[in-house]
Amino acid sequence: MTKRYYRSAASIENEAEFRSLLAREFPGVDPEKLDEPSRRRFLQLLGASAALAAAAGCRWEDEKIAVENERAANRIPGVPQHFASMMELGGIAAPLLLTTFDGRPVKVEGNPDHPMSNGATTHWAQASILSMYDPDRVGGVIDRTGEEEVETTVEAFATANREAFMTLRRTRGEGLRILAGSTSSPTVEDMRTRLLAAMPSARWVEWEPVSGDHAREGSRVAFGEEYRPLYHVDKADVIVCLDDDLLGSSAAALKWSRDFSSRRDPDAGTMNRLYAIESNFSTTGAAADHRLPLRSGLVGAVLAALKAEIGVEGAMGASTILSNERIAKFVKALAADLKAHRGSSLVTVGPHQPAAVHAHVHRLNQWLGNAGKTVEYLRVPGPARPSHVDGMRALVDDMNAGRVKTLLVLGGNPVYDAPADLDFAAAYAKVARTIHVGLYDDETGKASQWHVPMAHPFETWSDARAADGSWVVGQPTIAPLHGGKSAIEILATVTVDELTDGYDLIRRTFDEKVSTDEQTWRKCIHDGVLADSATAPETPSVKGSLPAMPAASGFATDAVENGQLELNFVPDARLYDGRFANNGWLQELPDFMTKATWDNMALLSPHDAAALDVETGDVVTLEIDGRSLDIAAYVMPGHAIGAVTVPLGYGRTAAGVIGGSTADGVDPVGFDTYKLRTAAAPHFRSGLTVTKTRRTHRLAMVQDHHMIDTVGQEGIEERLDQLVREADVETYRQNPDIVQSHDHGPPLKSLWDPHPYEGNRWGMAIDLTNCTGCNACVVACQAENNIPIVGKERVLEGREMHWLRIDRYFSGDVADPAVVSQPLPCQQCENAPCEQVCPVGATQHSEEGLNDMVYNRCVGTRYCSNNCPYKVRRFNFFNYHLTLGDAENEVLKMVFNPEVTIRARGVMEKCTYCVQRIASARNKAKLERRAIRDGEITPACAQTCPSDAIRFGDLNDPAARVVKDHGNSRAYSMLAYLNVKPRTAYLARITNPNPALAGAEKPSAH
Amino acid sequence: MTTITSPKDVLEPPALVQGDQDFASVTDAVCAPVEAKMPPTIWFAVFGAAVVMLLVLFGLIGHLIWTGVGVWGNQIPVAWGWPIVNFVFWVGIGHAGTLISAILFLFRQQWRTGINRFAEAMTIFAVICAGLFPGIHIGRVWVAYWLFPIPNQMDLWPQFRSPLLWDVFAVSTYFTVSLLFWFLGLVPDLATLRDRATTKARKLIYGIFALGWRGSARQWHRYERAYLILAALSTPLVLSVHSVVSFDFAVSQLPGWHTTIFPPYFVAGAIFSGFAMVLTLAVPARAIYGIKHLITMRHLEAMNKVILATGMMVGYAYSIEFFIAWYGGNPFEKFAFINRALGPYAWAYWTMALCNVVSPQIFWFKKARTSIPIMMVVAILVNVGMWFERFVIVVTSLSRDFLPSSWGYFKPTAVDVLMFLGSFGLFFTLFMLFLKFLPMVAIAEVKGVMPQAHLKKHH
Repeated sequence: MTKRYYRSAASIENEAEFRSLLAREFPGVDPEKLDEPSRRRFLQLLGASAALAAAAGCRWEDEKIAVENERAANRIPGVPQHFASMMELGGIAAPLLLTTFDGRPVKVEGNPDHPMSNGATTHWAQASILSMYDPDRVGGVIDRTGEEEVETTVEAFATANREAFMTLRRTRGEGLRILAGSTSSPTVEDMRTRLLAAMPSARWVEWEPVSGDHAREGSRVAFGEEYRPLYHVDKADVIVCLDDDLLGSSAAALKWSRDFSSRRDPDAGTMNRLYAIESNFSTTGAAADHRLPLRSGLVGAVLAALKAEIGVEGAMGASTILSNERIAKFVKALAADLKAHRGSSLVTVGPHQPAAVHAHVHRLNQWLGNAGKTVEYLRVPGPARPSHVDGMRALVDDMNAGRVKTLLVLGGNPVYDAPADLDFAAAYAKVARTIHVGLYDDETGKASQWHVPMAHPFETWSDARAADGSWVVGQPTIAPLHGGKSAIEILATVTVDELTDGYDLIRRTFDEKVSTDEQTWRKCIHDGVLADSATAPETPSVKGSLPAMPAASGFATDAVENGQLELNFVPDARLYDGRFANNGWLQELPDFMTKATWDNMALLSPHDAAALDVETGDVVTLEIDGRSLDIAAYVMPGHAIGAVTVPLGYGRTAAGVIGGSTADGVDPVGFDTYKLRTAAAPHFRSGLTVTKTRRTHRLAMVQDHHMIDTVGQEGIEERLDQLVREADVETYRQNPDIVQSHDHGPPLKSLWDPHPYEGNRWGMAIDLTNCTGCNACVVACQAENNIPIVGKERVLEGREMHWLRIDRYFSGDVADPAVVSQPLPCQQCENAPCEQVCPVGATQHSEEGLNDMVYNRCVGTRYCSNNCPYKVRRFNFFNYHLTLGDAENEVLKMVFNPEVTIRARGVMEKCTYCVQRIASARNKAKLERRAIRDGEITPACAQTCPSDAIRFGDLNDPAARVVKDHGNSRAYSMLAYLNVKPRTAYLARITNPNPALAGAEKPSAH
Repeated sequence: MTTITSPKDVLEPPALVQGDQDFASVTDAVCAPVEAKMPPTIWFAVFGAAVVMLLVLFGLIGHLIWTGVGVWGNQIPVAWGWPIVNFVFWVGIGHAGTLISAILFLFRQQWRTGINRFAEAMTIFAVICAGLFPGIHIGRVWVAYWLFPIPNQMDLWPQFRSPLLWDVFAVSTYFTVSLLFWFLGLVPDLATLRDRATTKARKLIYGIFALGWRGSARQWHRYERAYLILAALSTPLVLSVHSVVSFDFAVSQLPGWHTTIFPPYFVAGAIFSGFAMVLTLAVPARAIYGIKHLITMRHLEAMNKVILATGMMVGYAYSIEFFIAWYGGNPFEKFAFINRALGPYAWAYWTMALCNVVSPQIFWFKKARTSIPIMMVVAILVNVGMWFERFVIVVTSLSRDFLPSSWGYFKPTAVDVLMFLGSFGLFFTLFMLFLKFLPMVAIAEVKGVMPQAHLKKHH
């Protein structure tokens, strides 16, 4: 009999839950296998190796051997190549640059030649490379038309349905519906036009759970036509964001973050001032100088009051909302500031808000003289189309009425994310022929007769328009791993197009719409963008009178009765609408405010939490319109009173072994909040009742692992102004030494002689004024440095592996706190405490000043971590790559960066300043017989930072930017009194508060 | 208990060997358990339980090496957890033996003879338990030998600035010297057992280890010289080993670890816990094996006095730490101590303070010092308290260091708890084997403190 061990008390208590967590952590592995060195394990391994051979055979069945003595031009084995590509999210193309090693893409960067990226990316783009290699994507076409599901090929799918498609063509598309996501792809647009021309009876429905419906409608109301605003954030002195995540999830967040941060340097020019009015903390709210926590339902009323206060003609008289002193004070100060900055201010509004609010914001910008200066408008090409919600409603009606014979779902997951009241799944089951094209055989795939694997954007040819309207072309960097097809290829099959190949389709559009010139095309592929193709901005004027702002009631006081609370749906900061649910990097990415991983929670204000007797981790029942959901609560400082925010995208039941899959016995991650979301109120709605249950839910948070007691709280308050230094710009300008004034004490002396540096001496500077906490750097670091995910159970135990973490601190009143985000990589101390205590010398000081970690030498005493005051070291408590040997994970091996060691069990690891990038730049410089230039090396975090908050360079080069940063009067070292001399300097966060509101935000209690 | 019948009873301490004893009866009494055909039933009970726990320990070590150190509760920031707590705990216990043997020997504290063998054996076994933990604690057990300066073709050496390396040397030196010292003291007694042996096997085995002892005057002379030299060698080790162990903490810069008081404080704590453990073992053993006349109440009372004294030193250290944290004016340091006493681990801190500082105060009363039940309770409380002292130092300090963002809360796993219990299995297995096969009291030395050995003096 084999002995059975358990890992923790909890694992015995809750066997089922534990096993499913374990399965998630080690995808595809039987937990038994971890513990049991038994005969069974041996036989399993034996079987797995056989399966490996078979599976490998399937995946690359038509293997072509490229003979390297006739290799492609510029292909040098082991030398990375970069290809421009793109991915689309919400109908906006993100221009990207993919790094490939020997034909294997491993890293995503922003396209530095595209103004909408400047080399930066979002965390979604960074993580998408992992989705491409996701083992859960494995599988061909699934045919569920018969009794049993059969796996077949795309060709077989085409053959089996050819007759049906031909019939569709003959009947001019009778009963054909195509349900697709938002896209700005010119080719899709072209094919859609062709399809509707050939089959006028067919209908094309657009659906995305996170859509720009309201913005489009608002534009039509205001301008009579569909426009998308293009902000010139760098030209604005005063920026007001109404429920808008301008710097986080908006269409051009990368560009606008860069522009925003360009005006946040207190040492150069005037700083801009950012006001945010929002219900839950967004990246923008956290970066704002002033933030008004407000229920989404009141934003319209506040806008009306603001307009009245400014004196915009046509505005209604003083609103009752100003009887609320908190709001009145804010609105008055804001109005004065806006009036003082006519033509150099900017008001933006988020997709959350109703169309009328959008229209009124357009008018306000025009009245303030901002239109044409800080905001311009891009005409959205293509015919007017119904809103996503209306389109979906009509489709479901058609399906229920039996008018739909063939439904082609092109890339979405409506069974999971369609409005709950429409009951899409039931209607879908009534359709005779359902075809789902998607990256995964997800909830919709499983409910369809045919699931056709879609190729990942990095595997196919694609085109789309970036936020500025420019024509972006994406080229494949690898052949489709699982024989998937792109959306346009499937579309071509269904419409029986004369072309079937993705390249031909993209090229046809290009030839027809742009140019047949081969040179232009080639340059376009190389650059990733067609030169000078950005849409010319216009400045349309707001026509006629606008509809009244939606009424708000009960706003004189903040507090709202339970039963009338507002429920707010927001896309999750990590999983977006749920499409990234099976991406381990994003699941384990700590939310930038809650610092929770592997979960979504109902966020509510401390005021409401006290009234409802709810604490973080309690399970509450949300009830609205007869629907209810049990979900964990999180008490969010600074959340609007009277509202509850629920992020979308969790609770997936067919995402995969990471995100939850009933078929694999993996419980869903988080809570499916779509169950409460209706077509009538997809954004926010009041009438919510919150009831506390007696259950609790364990939240895996990487900061504040548990509730902090009073002693801890006082300790934090005492030290925080040393760790994250802040000042407002006026104080700073009067007394530039204020940042340094925290450092006092006896002179610092070292036991050791200083290291001499003849060549380079690397250093980093992180500007807290610029950092918005957007998390892109964390995922970039994970992708670059092969950092494993560990799973929720391990995060709960405090064993997360991120080399770079972002610390988030609140200061001030819990009802309206200020937030600072502080990225924390290894500080690469000069007198490194870790180096002195390692008994085997596994961490050493390099000649260029880095604390090198010698994995081979590390025996794992973990003393270095104990002695690290910043706790940036991470330990491999288990073999986190245990399952890589399994057949199904063979494909996952391809995601690793070959330049970075994969760490074994039992060794310590930490940030290296991306030493592999330093080494390759050094090699290059040596070959070219020159010194390394400033800016030539950018660590992964710095490269992807949209707001340019992380700078890296040679401290021995007097001209280097990092030297200037280190010499800046804002620069400080964390915990300088320890005399560890960190090489990473922080630049203090300087805010630009409105003096009229200054009293409201004393940076007192942290 | 002696009754006072004359002024002599008050002015002169009671005899170290009580009752009407001669040399032969002492030899018989000590050799009886070793020569008995069957050990007492309770021996089997304790030994059986210990072996079961030892097997659990071995099983868990296998599990640990197979799976990874993640089977424990260790995490970031608390990268050292129970294994290191257990290590310091056992090393501390391993102090009493050498202190009793060496330092008390040098100070001519003759009462030591009744308990020194016992205490030395305990030391050896405690150090074995202690040495186990750092060995398996590291992430890659299979390269543990890299901690030793073994010449190699790569010219790789350990890093001599690291206190962990000093620790390796300190503990291994201490173990070696303690073992030699113990063995040297055993030689005459082994010869006695050899001479009394009734079977060939016993004669042979004891004979080998008796190293040809004949008891000649020259041998005795050499023996006593060697014993004295080893005692002198061990004396600094008693002080150094726990000082070096304390350097693991004191040399780092973690608030709560980084204090200069640690070396003397650790040594005092070690002696404190060591004596408590000797008491815990000696009291039952003397009752079971009927050697109350050799390990007398006078011995026990003397040990209780040592416990009282070292307990107060430890208490002083606890309070001076707080004073310095406040007086030093370092907010991180100050917080570390406030957090100890009032933070999430306050329960551990106050358990420690109650057990280590408050409970020994009862020994101010002679009645308590000479009461078997009271001293057993206090000794066990001190054992518990000293384990918690190490827990407070290691875990509490690590759990909340400089940056609040990295604070955490450590929870032990079942493996943590079972391995700690398993280490008692190892200890008691060895100790029970000792009781069965070796004389638990130093026969030759006890004879030296009997009145018969000093006949000349009275002439």
